[in-house]
Amino acid sequence: MEAIAGWWDDYFWASIVVFKVFIASLLFMVLFGLIGAMAKLSNNRIAQKLASAYTIVFRGTPEILVILLLYFGSAIALTSIAQVFNPDIKFLDVPPFWAGTFAISVIVGSYATETFRGAFLGVDPGHVEAARALGLSDFQSFIHVRIPEMWRIALPPFGNHMLSLVKDTALISIIGLNETLFVAKQATSFTGKPFVMYILVGCIYLAFSTVITLTVMGFEKFGNRHLKEAL
Amino acid sequence: MNETKPFIQMQNVEKYYGQFQALKAINLEVNRGEKIVICGPSGSGKSTLIRCINRLEEHDGGKIIIDGTELTDQIKDINAVRREVGMVFQSFNLFPHMTILKNLMLAQGLVRKTPKAEARKVAMQYLERVKIPEQADKYPVQLSGGQQQRVAIARALCMKPKVMLFDEPTSALDPEMINEVLDVMTDLAKEGMTMICVTHEMGFARSVADRVIFMDQGEIVETATPKDFFENPDSDRLKLFMKQILTH
Amino acid sequence: MTESVALIFDSVLKMLVGLGMTLQLLIISSGLGLILAVILLLMRISGKWYLNLPAQIYIYIFRGTPILVQIFIIYYGLPQFEFIRDSIFWPILREGYGCAIVALFLNSGAYTSEILRGGVLAVDQGLLEAASALGMSKPQRFLYILTPIATRISLPAYSNEFISMLKSTSLASTITVADMTGIGRTIVAQTFAPYEIFLSLAIIYMILTFFIQRSFGWIENRLSRYTKKLGIS
Repeated sequence: MEAIAGWWDDYFWASIVVFKVFIASLLFMVLFGLIGAMAKLSNNRIAQKLASAYTIVFRGTPEILVILLLYFGSAIALTSIAQVFNPDIKFLDVPPFWAGTFAISVIVGSYATETFRGAFLGVDPGHVEAARALGLSDFQSFIHVRIPEMWRIALPPFGNHMLSLVKDTALISIIGLNETLFVAKQATSFTGKPFVMYILVGCIYLAFSTVITLTVMGFEKFGNRHLKEAL
Repeated sequence: MNETKPFIQMQNVEKYYGQFQALKAINLEVNRGEKIVICGPSGSGKSTLIRCINRLEEHDGGKIIIDGTELTDQIKDINAVRREVGMVFQSFNLFPHMTILKNLMLAQGLVRKTPKAEARKVAMQYLERVKIPEQADKYPVQLSGGQQQRVAIARALCMKPKVMLFDEPTSALDPEMINEVLDVMTDLAKEGMTMICVTHEMGFARSVADRVIFMDQGEIVETATPKDFFENPDSDRLKLFMKQILTH
Repeated sequence: MTESVALIFDSVLKMLVGLGMTLQLLIISSGLGLILAVILLLMRISGKWYLNLPAQIYIYIFRGTPILVQIFIIYYGLPQFEFIRDSIFWPILREGYGCAIVALFLNSGAYTSEILRGGVLAVDQGLLEAASALGMSKPQRFLYILTPIATRISLPAYSNEFISMLKSTSLASTITVADMTGIGRTIVAQTFAPYEIFLSLAIIYMILTFFIQRSFGWIENRLSRYTKKLGIS
């Protein structure tokens, strides 16, 4: 146990990094998911095909590969461009934080596309019709009827997507992001106690997962309070 | 209120679903204060007809004119028409995630821009009209089918429409709840509301309708006063339909 | 540009050598994972708390932590202990290959058992009641009614999990296993050509995914024959 002493600081800040990645990637993931779902649900053939390609590509490719490709690929491109201006530059990269965040957002966003699409299709069309019959504009019925019903349908699978984001953060350690797994690797080479170091990483991620799961359960309760039957 | 022009005019209206023709050369005029009942076998086009009136379905041929405004592709503000045309659906379609009160107030605020306090007053007024003011803060799932449908009628009435469309309002209800809804509709008729009802409730048609229309296979086959319709049906198709529904 | 094409061609051939390894990892882990999943499922639906609770805890831990961390714990962490090094499992746990399979199947078992449980819960209770009324015993109901129907219902979700497994096998490359990704990364380190190599590799995985989806689709169709209304002939 004493092995960990002295490393608490590093693990703490590394956990903050995990949190930051989660928040950033969550925003992008929702964005990509909504855009993808809209594209698939639209009447535009090109948009539909592009969105299909998006989901096929990123659901069929290993996450680690996407991270490596995005990071090294962008690094090579940036380095070449930078060397035009300053030949002394050996290596210029997109910071692993952003390369990794973007990569996992794009990947989980492709799953979110399907989730959001299914959720929009799951809204009772009769309710939308009632809104139209009352004279609500398309925009008004979208905001007041479709979105409220849609997020409740999407919530359980969306919770899983959030869990995927958190867990995929560990993969970003491979490109040098200073999160908990990365710290554990360093700590292991110093202390020679790999087991306890990696178990600690597991515990930290388990804590994140638990918080997310509890939060989703809370939202489900809140979202479905209108369904409590009369006693 | 006497208007020389009919409130609703449908001239040679046609509607296709792909190759299938749902409405064939429909000609219909509805005056202010008239109560029209439309009946007929399934697939006859009755629902399609009234859904074209508030443009939930778009007609493919002919003209539809509501209170002087023609419904076309270029119509600038369909919602201005929909404000004046209330609709009650077979499956109620109350917004599940809102309380009864919110269901009644939502469109008032968004479409008529009614201030909240006023909207609430109107909502409670109509809830009392349909005899369930105590349900105001409940959610739709907590109400019976009959209660939900009465709320749906109140919701449409809150918009103070000039005509009410009813699409088989009692078909999804258990038998013991049908009357509470028909009572509300009958009261509404007595107060002079212009109404077009698609329904199988022949008793209601007899007592409330000014005209009963029989549709079959997309056409209006016969139109008559309730007395003539039920006691002296003209066409063979109507005679057959009467036999089918009145033997129970 | 021609050097790019030659490089791609060359690298793809080298990476396809790793295909065998990738498929081994996938099939063995999924196979063992399925067995584990059934055991966990039986524990979960047994109704007995001393079986249900440990299964729930196991699933919770393996679904709540990243698979990469699980791999590292087994590969780097376990050898720390003497009793592991002395045990009969050591030959397996000493190699990256063995550790990868252990980590993957332990993980797969957790996810798959939840999928199977979802399928079991979705079976119409009325069908089981009818079976009871006919006098069938519990094991008989489980075997002849519950299992076939639950399997058919679980299939779409399981196919997703299987594809997820395929993608997880690429993580074995982090512990020296020479699967397709492992070989790919080595080539990139030598040639500094990430675009060509990783893009080709991604395409290979996508093709594999396509075949897997097709196969599962075919199986789903066969199993669903009785759910479709017969056409009028």
